[in-house]
Amino acid sequence: MTDMTSAAAAAPINVSQNTEQQGKKASASWKSTGLTVGIIVCGILTIAGIALWAMQLSGSMIQTGMRNLDSWGLYITFFMFFVGLSAGGLIISSVPKAFGIKGFGGISKVAIMSSIACTIAAIGFVVVDLGQPTRIWELFVFSNIGSPLMWDIIVLGTYLILSCFYLWAQMAHERGRVSDKALRVLSVIALLCAVMVHSVTAWIFGLQQGREMWHTALLGPWFVSSALVCGTALVICVVEALRKVGYLSLDQAYIVKLAKLLGAFVCVDLYFFACDLLTEGFPGAHGADVVSMLVSGQLAPFFWIEVVGCAVCAVICFTPKLRTNPLIVIASLLAIVGILCKRIQLLVGGFQLPNLDYVGALSPQTITNWEAGWTDAYAGMVYWPTPLEFGVMLGVVALAGLVFLLGIKFLALQPGDKIQAESEK
Amino acid sequence: MNYGFVIDQERCIGCHTCAVACKIENNLPDVVWWNRILTDGGAEMDIPAGEFPNTTIEYVPVNCQHCENPACTKVCPVGATYKDEETGIVHQDADKCIGCRMCMSACPYTGVRSFNWDEPTHVLDMNIGGVDAPEHQKHTVEKCTMCSHRVAKGEEPACVEACPARARFWGDLDDPNSEVSQIIKKRSFKQLLADEGTKPSVYYVG
Repeated sequence: MTDMTSAAAAAPINVSQNTEQQGKKASASWKSTGLTVGIIVCGILTIAGIALWAMQLSGSMIQTGMRNLDSWGLYITFFMFFVGLSAGGLIISSVPKAFGIKGFGGISKVAIMSSIACTIAAIGFVVVDLGQPTRIWELFVFSNIGSPLMWDIIVLGTYLILSCFYLWAQMAHERGRVSDKALRVLSVIALLCAVMVHSVTAWIFGLQQGREMWHTALLGPWFVSSALVCGTALVICVVEALRKVGYLSLDQAYIVKLAKLLGAFVCVDLYFFACDLLTEGFPGAHGADVVSMLVSGQLAPFFWIEVVGCAVCAVICFTPKLRTNPLIVIASLLAIVGILCKRIQLLVGGFQLPNLDYVGALSPQTITNWEAGWTDAYAGMVYWPTPLEFGVMLGVVALAGLVFLLGIKFLALQPGDKIQAESEK
Repeated sequence: MNYGFVIDQERCIGCHTCAVACKIENNLPDVVWWNRILTDGGAEMDIPAGEFPNTTIEYVPVNCQHCENPACTKVCPVGATYKDEETGIVHQDADKCIGCRMCMSACPYTGVRSFNWDEPTHVLDMNIGGVDAPEHQKHTVEKCTMCSHRVAKGEEPACVEACPARARFWGDLDDPNSEVSQIIKKRSFKQLLADEGTKPSVYYVG
C-alpha cells in the first residue's frame, strides 16, 4: 500500500530518515488510490458547498429553514458538534505528555490532525451562518470583548494556531529539535486551551438567561464531557480506519485503552444529562416543559437515540468480550451520533419553548412552519433545515475531510521511531 | 433620561393601528413588523381563552422593550446594538451588523428583533414614512428604534401618536412628573418577563 519512492518529492525533510530505514516504517508521503479518491471527492463536495453558500448569499437566507423565532439552525448545531469533535485529538495527545503518563502509542499526530480539521470546520460553520460575512473584519476592529461570541472567536482562533504549532512541535521533537520539557509545557497549554474552547462554546448558549434549556451552569462542564466523548470516538474511528488501510500499525492494547476511556467519558456525559434533567424537572416549574419535550415531546427521537446509543457504547467499552475491533468502531459511531443528537436537542430545544406564550400574526419570516399557524408551528419540531442547508453543511464537513486527508498524504503523521519501537514491544 | 412606554391594556382594543403606524413611519419591508399585537388568550390570534360565556382575552402589544439591562447589547460581538445612555434607547446599527443573530438568541422577548432573511421589498415602489427613517438591509437584524428619528426632533414615537384608543403613552421614566411616571405610580403595572432581570422600559397597566 505504501510507496516509498514518492517520499523524496513530497516531503524532503524526511528523506534521510526514510532512505535509512526503508521498509521498516512507512514514508512521509503516503499514497493509495483510496486516499486520492477521498481527496477528490472531498474537494468536489467542498466546491459544491461553496457554490451553494454563494447561492445562499446572492439569493438570500430565506432559502434556509431559519426564521425570527428560530434564528439559528443546522449550521450552529454543527458548529457545536465540530468544536466537540476537535477536542478528542488534542486532549488524547496532550494529556499523557502533560502529566507524564504513558500515552496511546503513536496516534498522537494523527489525533492532532483530526483536531485541526474539525476546528477548521467549526470556524467554517460560523462563517456560513453569518448574514454579512464580508463584514467579518469588524470582529477585529470593533471587538466587543464582553460578548461570549467574541470570546469564542478569540479562543477558537488560538486553538487552531496552537494545534498547528503543537503538531509541528511533535514532529520537530521526534527529530530532536524540540526538547522534552518544551513539549510538555506546550502540552499543558494545549490542554488548557482545549478545555477553554469547549467551555466558551457552551457559554454562547449557557449565559443566555432567556432560554430555559440553555441557561444552566452545568453547560460548560457538560460541553467538555460531550467533547471528550465524541472526540475520543472520532480518534478511535480514524485510527481503526488508518490501521485497516495500513497507514499505521498500533498495538491492540492501545485501542482497548481508548475504548475504556470512551466508556468512562460516555458515563460522565450521561451522568451530567441525568443531573440536568433532574434539576430542570424536579421543581415542576418551567423546567418540567424541557424534560417532557425531550423525553416524550418533539425532540424525543433525538433524546432516546442519544441515551440508548451512549448506554450501548458504554456496555461495549466495558465488556472485555465485546471489545472486538468492529464492535469498538460501532460503539464509537454510536457515541458520535449520540452527541450529534444532543447538539440537535440543545439547539432546537432552545427555540422550541416560546418565552412569550402569546399568539400573534404570522409572516413568512416569523417561524419555519408559519403557514401551519401558531399552534401547529410548535406542534412538531419548530425548525427543520432545507436541502440548501444540508448541502452547505456537507460542503463544510467535506472541507474538514479534505484538510485531514491532505494531512495524511503530505505530512509524516505515522508514529515516530521511538514510539513505534515501544508499541511493537 | 430613560424613555419608555406605558401601555394601558384596559384601553387597548387590539386594532393593530400602532403596528401599522410603525410600519409606515419606518418604511418597514413587506413582512417585517417591529411592533406586534399579541393575544393573551386562546390558541390563535384574536381567539379568547375558555368557553363561552366564561372567556378571557387581553391584547399585549410587544415591541423592543428598550431594557435598562439589555441582554442583546452584551452579546453583540461588534457592538452593532448598544444602549444610548442619553435617552435609554437601545439602538441597532444595520451598517455594522454582521448578521450573526446572537442578539436574537439572547433577547428573551423573542420576535421583537427581526432579521431580513430576504432582500427587503415594499408593496409601494417609493419610500414612505419619515424622511429620516432608517434604511433596511438584507441579512441584518433590525428592530424598534423608539422612533429615535422623531424623538430627536421632539416628537413622540409614531405608535403613540396613532393609537385611536389612547392606550399608549411615552415619556421619561426618570422624570417623576412625566405622564408615564405618574401612571405607573398610581396604577398597578406589570413588565414582560420581569424575572429575567432585564428591567424592561415598557410597562403594562390595566
